[in-house]
Amino acid sequence: MSLADQLSAYLGRLWARKVQVLDLTRIPGGASRETYRFDVDIEAKRKGLILRRDPVGSLIDTDRRLEFLAVQSFYGRGVPVPEPVALEMAETELERPFFIMGRIDGGKAASPFTVDAYGVYAATIGEQFFSSLGIIAKADPVGLPISDVAETPDLAACWSKQLDYWANVIETDQLHPQPIVWAAIRKLRRNPPPPAQKISVVHGDYRTGNFLHDGQGKIIAILDWEMAHLGDPLEDLGWAIDPLWGHYDPDKVGGMLTRTEALKIWEQVSGLKVDIQALDWWSLFNAVKGQAIWTSSAREYRDSGGKDPVLALSGWYTARRHDKIIADRLATLEGWA
Amino acid sequence: MTPTVAEVLMGNFMALVEPPPQESVGDYMASRISVIGMNSLLASQEAEMGAAVRVWENEAISAVLLKAGAPLAASAQDLSITALDALNAKLRLALIAAHEAVEAQGDSELDREILTLYQAMADRRMLVLPVMAAS
Repeated sequence: MSLADQLSAYLGRLWARKVQVLDLTRIPGGASRETYRFDVDIEAKRKGLILRRDPVGSLIDTDRRLEFLAVQSFYGRGVPVPEPVALEMAETELERPFFIMGRIDGGKAASPFTVDAYGVYAATIGEQFFSSLGIIAKADPVGLPISDVAETPDLAACWSKQLDYWANVIETDQLHPQPIVWAAIRKLRRNPPPPAQKISVVHGDYRTGNFLHDGQGKIIAILDWEMAHLGDPLEDLGWAIDPLWGHYDPDKVGGMLTRTEALKIWEQVSGLKVDIQALDWWSLFNAVKGQAIWTSSAREYRDSGGKDPVLALSGWYTARRHDKIIADRLATLEGWA
Repeated sequence: MTPTVAEVLMGNFMALVEPPPQESVGDYMASRISVIGMNSLLASQEAEMGAAVRVWENEAISAVLLKAGAPLAASAQDLSITALDALNAKLRLALIAAHEAVEAQGDSELDREILTLYQAMADRRMLVLPVMAAS
């Protein structure tokens, strides 16, 4: 039975009516899920949907339930996200767990490896980008669907929980010794940040390239919530402004706004303050986290026989760029032990 | 450093040799081929500079280890990438241990020298993608 037939059968049972899946097509959508677009024909009405299925091998090991509930947490709450439709954890339906979301048509995502990604709309898109992040940071996770499964860390333990996790990923997956990232990990441990101001939903991969814009200055969907968790809201901010996502423009974060402008918008919308020293910590941490992801990519690329070229690009080109970012940052940190 | 040029070029072959399922042609395959192209481009840079960078890095680490009182020779008869990487792994492990010791001793001068070495290592390993405009 084809994937389209399996999907038709599943949705037919789910909605208790005859469903026909049409035009099922795999699309580029990151290496942590297989992403497909398709239409359904239900009683002569067509609806556009997206299927996100666990891959055989992945860039990062993530929980699709968390991703689904994170999207559900912000659907209709001021952050543009797709409509969550169905989550299926069993492997009997499509061989691997998956979820289905509404499709938002007419948008495009910028590759982080392009220049001037947003043209004349850079500032407008940047304002929406950091405003949406402010909304996510401001939200009280209590009562949101993600809190059903996400662990709530202590305010003072947000940093160590994340650092321990990603340091362990590097320890487990590194194929070649990495002195630069280990120096950064030791530096982070010796200079912990202050406790988080509050516990927020952390998107986990909030960056340029992970949202759709309409080409006319409007963000229409924030995507790729697969690393969502609860933690320090500065974590997402540090990732969003990492130079890797700057479209090769050192003067603008995310290739959109100056750092000062971005932080001001985030503060206004979230109602939170940016402690610059704490943000410095989370910025260095995020470069370490990036290196951990790329380290896993290289491991997965080798273990899976080299079939996914995205894993090679991540484990090679991006890994070396993050080594450079970390090395430069280590050399310029002042007042750190 | 992984993946190696040999692994990437073999991977490019593996990624292309299997016909994709019907639902994976179109945008997905176009994107996949684009990434394969980028990997080939990066492989050309790594093939050109890979041996020289490794020889330089091995010697540079060895020099710092000598200053840190943990000598480890970097001389290599075998200049294959495999042999240079094996030596590089030993040197990098020794460098991690030496840097930890330097930090524990509070030797800020040598610490600074090691951090400068890290910058040079990262600089020389950098790969470059061509300027690509957003579509």
